[in-house]
Amino acid sequence: MKRLASLVCLVALIATACSSSGATQAVNGGNLIVGLDGDMVYADPSLVSDGNSLYVAAQVVQGLVGLKPGTISEVVPVLASALPTVSSDGKTYTFALRTGVKFHDGTTLDAAAVKFNYDRWNAYTKGDLQDNAYYYGAVFGGYGADSNIASVTAPDANTVVMTLKAPQSNFLLAQTLQVFGIQSPTALKNDKADTTPLKDNNYAQGKGESMVGTGPFKFKEWQAGDHITLTKFADYWDTANAAHVDTITFKPMGDSTAKLQALQSGGIDLAETISPTDVATAKSSNLTVLDRGQSCNMGYLGLNQSLQSKSGGAATPTIYANKSVRFAVGEAINKQGIIDALYGGQAKIPQSWMPPATTGFKAETIPGYDAAKAKSDLAASGLTADQLKIDLYYPSSVVRPYMPDPKNEAQAIAQDLTAAGFAVSLKTEDWHGGYVSDATNGDLPMFLFGWTCDWAGADNFLNTAFFGYSGGKPNPQFGYQNDQMNTLFGQALQAPTVDAANALWGQAQDLIAADLPTIPIVNSTPPGAYTSKIHGFVGAGNAIEYFNTVWIQ
Amino acid sequence: MLRFIVRRVLGAIPILFGLSVILFMFLRLLPGDPAIAILGQHATPQLIAQIHETLGLDKPLYVQYLNYLGQLLQGNFGASIIDSRAVADTFAIRFPITVELTIGALIFAVGLGIPLGRLAARHPNGWIDGLVTVVSLFGISIPIFVLGYTLAFIFAVELHLLPYPGPIDPRLSVDPVTHFPIIDAVLSGNPGAVVDAFAHLILPAIALGSIPLAIVTRITRASVIDVSNEDYVRTARAKGLTRKRVDDRHIMRNAWLPVTTVIGLQVGSLLGGAVLTETVFGWPGVGSWVVTSIQNHDYIVVQSLILIFATIFLTVNLIVDIGYAFLNPRIRYS
Repeated sequence: MKRLASLVCLVALIATACSSSGATQAVNGGNLIVGLDGDMVYADPSLVSDGNSLYVAAQVVQGLVGLKPGTISEVVPVLASALPTVSSDGKTYTFALRTGVKFHDGTTLDAAAVKFNYDRWNAYTKGDLQDNAYYYGAVFGGYGADSNIASVTAPDANTVVMTLKAPQSNFLLAQTLQVFGIQSPTALKNDKADTTPLKDNNYAQGKGESMVGTGPFKFKEWQAGDHITLTKFADYWDTANAAHVDTITFKPMGDSTAKLQALQSGGIDLAETISPTDVATAKSSNLTVLDRGQSCNMGYLGLNQSLQSKSGGAATPTIYANKSVRFAVGEAINKQGIIDALYGGQAKIPQSWMPPATTGFKAETIPGYDAAKAKSDLAASGLTADQLKIDLYYPSSVVRPYMPDPKNEAQAIAQDLTAAGFAVSLKTEDWHGGYVSDATNGDLPMFLFGWTCDWAGADNFLNTAFFGYSGGKPNPQFGYQNDQMNTLFGQALQAPTVDAANALWGQAQDLIAADLPTIPIVNSTPPGAYTSKIHGFVGAGNAIEYFNTVWIQ
Repeated sequence: MLRFIVRRVLGAIPILFGLSVILFMFLRLLPGDPAIAILGQHATPQLIAQIHETLGLDKPLYVQYLNYLGQLLQGNFGASIIDSRAVADTFAIRFPITVELTIGALIFAVGLGIPLGRLAARHPNGWIDGLVTVVSLFGISIPIFVLGYTLAFIFAVELHLLPYPGPIDPRLSVDPVTHFPIIDAVLSGNPGAVVDAFAHLILPAIALGSIPLAIVTRITRASVIDVSNEDYVRTARAKGLTRKRVDDRHIMRNAWLPVTTVIGLQVGSLLGGAVLTETVFGWPGVGSWVVTSIQNHDYIVVQSLILIFATIFLTVNLIVDIGYAFLNPRIRYS
């Protein structure tokens, strides 16, 4: 009897092994339909900064370096054959290129092509081109003479040397952005890709040969508002990682309910994101909810210490200039409760002002939920009952990855703050209709806001998004002045190595944690979902995801 | 008749001009800024000012309006602030999709509404009339998006009887030649694509056609009952004419007039209703374009589209008025 049982077990084991090996065997062919959160803006990746365009571009264009799939900050060589050698002063980066790489138009990638692309971006003229090519200006501090790039040279066909005017610690990580994807100089010239105004630019409008890169998929067509179609690139250089599916069709679908029903009905195979409130339904509908792993965003409660005057007069200090009040606010909020109720389990409580996988992250002690301590801190602040009447703003007509349900989140926070002793009035403004500008201009005292990383570096959160000075003044969004912190920011940005920069970012985080100028609420990973016939998909918290590994069965 | 048409066309000019002024001012009075829609989280006062300069939004409102009007008079509806696409180009791609949806909804509403109305009128105050009334109320009282999601859930998600979303399955790779999904499917020579395109139309056409169905049913019923009580109908019956002959020659011929008016008016509301239906069913027509353009504060697209819609509405009304003359020769347009 025991022998029989053993035999049955053996047969079962073999059967299991066979079936699982069958499931992991990639199958080629098929058309993958992906529900995209919105439409692409331009078919020239160097001219976009929105998530939808970059999501598509990630399949088509490649830069010298990129991110290891599934990670948000692990830089790996892509068109470069190895990570660059960097001079000791941190100003010169020397890249060796891979050989045998073809563009989608059949031309060959060489150092001259890389130089052509960097020179092209640097020469973007004021107006349409600079207005849309946000990232080049943001990363290098401007265009032409204002850019931190001193020169890009091609000493031989396979070597590119980039020289910076000043060391720039975020240089390599920022080069992983799709906007720095190298496109075929031949195609760019043939289609007059620098034509302005952009309404007459066939390359940017996807009307001609557009987005001609070196990736595993090539651009086929773009029917604005309807779909973008990419096809498998037969001559892809990385044969071991060539695409499995024949085509990808991206369908812009902004409505979350429609997207979920499209997945359930099989009308689309994969949704870039679904609403956190739909996670349970998706799971019960035999859909796989995408695990994006590392977060690359932060939702926070903004506290403004110095309200700006709309008439241009002097700024008015608020109660949030009082450190005890800020700590009381931080201790009053039950973040885990909010995460459980509104984020479908797809978020974590932040340990700093950036997610843990960010380069330069340092775990800090941020006040947790402690209602009793919140009350005692508030009492210690010495504020009168009248001063404790506060306005909490939240945005309407918007859902953000770090803020899937602003109204209910604001209500939950208001409830917690009321329990601590504040008298909270909830106020709202339309996201595009004034909320963003009022918050960033420093007109809102307490507000829900957030930041999705451009690149997962400490600089992108601490300096770009939060507390970096501009024109010698603190960010008006928070009115938080800390000159020592700002000095550290400057030193970190120009540190010759990433390690040196990270040490400085760590010191800056210590200063920020001691002051608690804003209240980090969540680091979320926006959920996506796909049907049971989709295999091999690797999600990433920054939504830079590659479809060459995906197959349909 | 020609004088009437010319007078109506000339009368439309001040209406459209006034509408363009009101639209232009109204959209700019709304809080919000297209520069923020372009820049997203990267918006800074400096970048916003830079984009305002490029788009001419830093100029006084009357200058912006005169520039816009100058473009309009040359037949140029401008370009999107967000993606720089010419409004006319995108309209040419998206409008056929909306037209196909509207025609589908109209066929559903008229094709079902008139027989239901006639049926109810034939048995006034009976149980059949009651049933038809319930169906009408059902159609008119359920919001389009609720009905749309419900239909999609039942027939696409649960029963897998009908496809969803969009006007055609992208896996079929039908080339957009005319941008009418069904016609393009026919041109592709793939019978499967034709069936698929028709199948994709059923649910959104029902959702969009539900309100017009109710209205057409009610108006047909009322109109038929009204005409049936006329003396000449009684006379026709007294003469011994068959029921069919009385219905066709005497009742319906006269009952058509109000029904035709209502159908004409419904074309306008169908175009408006397409905004919701296209969003729910993922149809890339003009309706969903309006929604995203409003969200993005894309002034140029929104004001141009509303002007185009107004022109279409005026044209449809004119056609309906002309149709009167053919249906009722007693009407003269002097």
